[in-house]
Amino acid sequence: MSEATGLRQPKKASADLFRKLGVEPVPDNEKVQEAIRHLDDFRFRVRSFVMAMESCVKCGACAEACHTYLGTRDPNNIPAGRVDLIRKAYKRYFTVQGQLFPGLVGAQDLDLETIEKWYSYFYQCSECRRCAHVCPFGIDTAEVTFIARQILYWLGIAPQLHAATAEAILRTGNHMGLTKAGIEDTLEFLAEEIEEDYDGLKVEFPVDKPNSDILYVPSSADFMLNPNTLKGAAMFFKYVGANWTISSEITEAGNFGYLSDQSRIQREMVTRLFREATKLGVKKIVWGECGHGWRAAKMYPPTVSDLPGVKRIPITHIHDEVEAYIKAGRLELDPKRNDRKVTLHDPCNYARACGHSDNMRVIMNAVVPKGAFVEMKPSREANFCCGGGSGILFDDPDMYQFRILASNKKAEQVRETGADTLCAPCSICKAQLYPMVKEHKLPVEVVGLIDLVGHALVFRD
Amino acid sequence: MPFVEVEGKQIEVDEDGFMVDPSQWWPGWAHYVAKQEGISELTDRHWQVIEFLKDYYAKTGIAPMIRKLCKESGIPLKEMYELFPTGPAKGACKCAGLPKPTGCV
Repeated sequence: MSEATGLRQPKKASADLFRKLGVEPVPDNEKVQEAIRHLDDFRFRVRSFVMAMESCVKCGACAEACHTYLGTRDPNNIPAGRVDLIRKAYKRYFTVQGQLFPGLVGAQDLDLETIEKWYSYFYQCSECRRCAHVCPFGIDTAEVTFIARQILYWLGIAPQLHAATAEAILRTGNHMGLTKAGIEDTLEFLAEEIEEDYDGLKVEFPVDKPNSDILYVPSSADFMLNPNTLKGAAMFFKYVGANWTISSEITEAGNFGYLSDQSRIQREMVTRLFREATKLGVKKIVWGECGHGWRAAKMYPPTVSDLPGVKRIPITHIHDEVEAYIKAGRLELDPKRNDRKVTLHDPCNYARACGHSDNMRVIMNAVVPKGAFVEMKPSREANFCCGGGSGILFDDPDMYQFRILASNKKAEQVRETGADTLCAPCSICKAQLYPMVKEHKLPVEVVGLIDLVGHALVFRD
Repeated sequence: MPFVEVEGKQIEVDEDGFMVDPSQWWPGWAHYVAKQEGISELTDRHWQVIEFLKDYYAKTGIAPMIRKLCKESGIPLKEMYELFPTGPAKGACKCAGLPKPTGCV
């Protein structure tokens, strides 16, 4: 189907993989009816979806706000146009005008070809919500993307990357399929590195330690790609004398379920988190650097899990923790150690969904020399996505080319700052930007924010 | 899942052509993948990386942190990308019969 229509689509997961996830793919001749049935369910359950379907007047404000449209100039990537791929069917089946005079109101029968378009375009949307930020009606297109991806998943259509990640989640509790042996070996290696690089400083990385006060939940990608983020966190916990641990059962700040299957995989992650937090007896959960995962953890646990711990164990972000210590004057930091010209990429889910812009700046200004931090334009809640948001980190050639286009705007922003360091404190942003800064020939190093904190901490005996 | 035939053996692979069962690995597999990856010949340096990955995976069940791979195989990151153009996490792991990394990579 994808070849016949010439659509840009990520590689699809196989039927076998879906069966491992407990989903029997729906046969082609039943997909349309099944999709309509799901749309019907969603319109009764999700008010934000109905508003998105009913209210858009095609004013066009969202077009130039979307980095995907700016990069591809494909009208179906205008947020209003993308939503129209669903709205046409909504009007056809659920409005009187659309049932009687479909041609007059832009209503259209749903068919397999349109479902293939959903797969293409709702996986080019990064759920960054920059369109929601500018919509005069307050339509949040990401809410529609969530629903489109959920219906596709139930039909048995999802990117290989997302389905394989879901499978790793069910098997291990993290996206990368990390085992306890692998986790411990990696952390031992990092402890040695800290000892070598910081004058014999001894830092522990406890794993599954009972009676800990804090459960630290890092991104599993930190174990392969972002070692300095893990090190920074451990050095901070050491500095403040925290009784902390990592859990090998939930070594994952992200939640790919939130990005493609909110009904089961998102729930599994949250249930696992609170089960482990309860088992370890922690008083608080501290989140690592991950944008979508922080949104999922900060806002939605009570809506997807009924374990009592969901309401009793507080969750904070490590940036909030560090900010609080800085404001209380309890961290000695030497900004000269980060003698760089740094700009900050605001991860979309931090800045537009979690009110998380100020704390990053409090930290940044404390860990780099005065004047070394340059803001991107625009920044904070108006910032542009890295182009990989919502896990669209596909590496098949067609989609990789798309990632380059989708990061055009980001590259332009970074170049204008003249910075040599691009701080992007989110694992998806990092995974997107490591290769993209090369593709766009940007002379910057991509780092996390906690990396800079760890490096600036002054330890005294 | 699909199968490919390499040197007369039927090998089950995932959608991206990564070997499903690492215990089936033999050197012929690495040569087969190298060709797909546009690597003209596997040199001693390539084998250093492949052997390290295989051992590490057998011990821990995961692919190593990239920095650890470079440090312990003695091959700097820049050279790693020259050896395996699609990178250590993809090209090199594929040659060594490890599963494709998932999540934010």
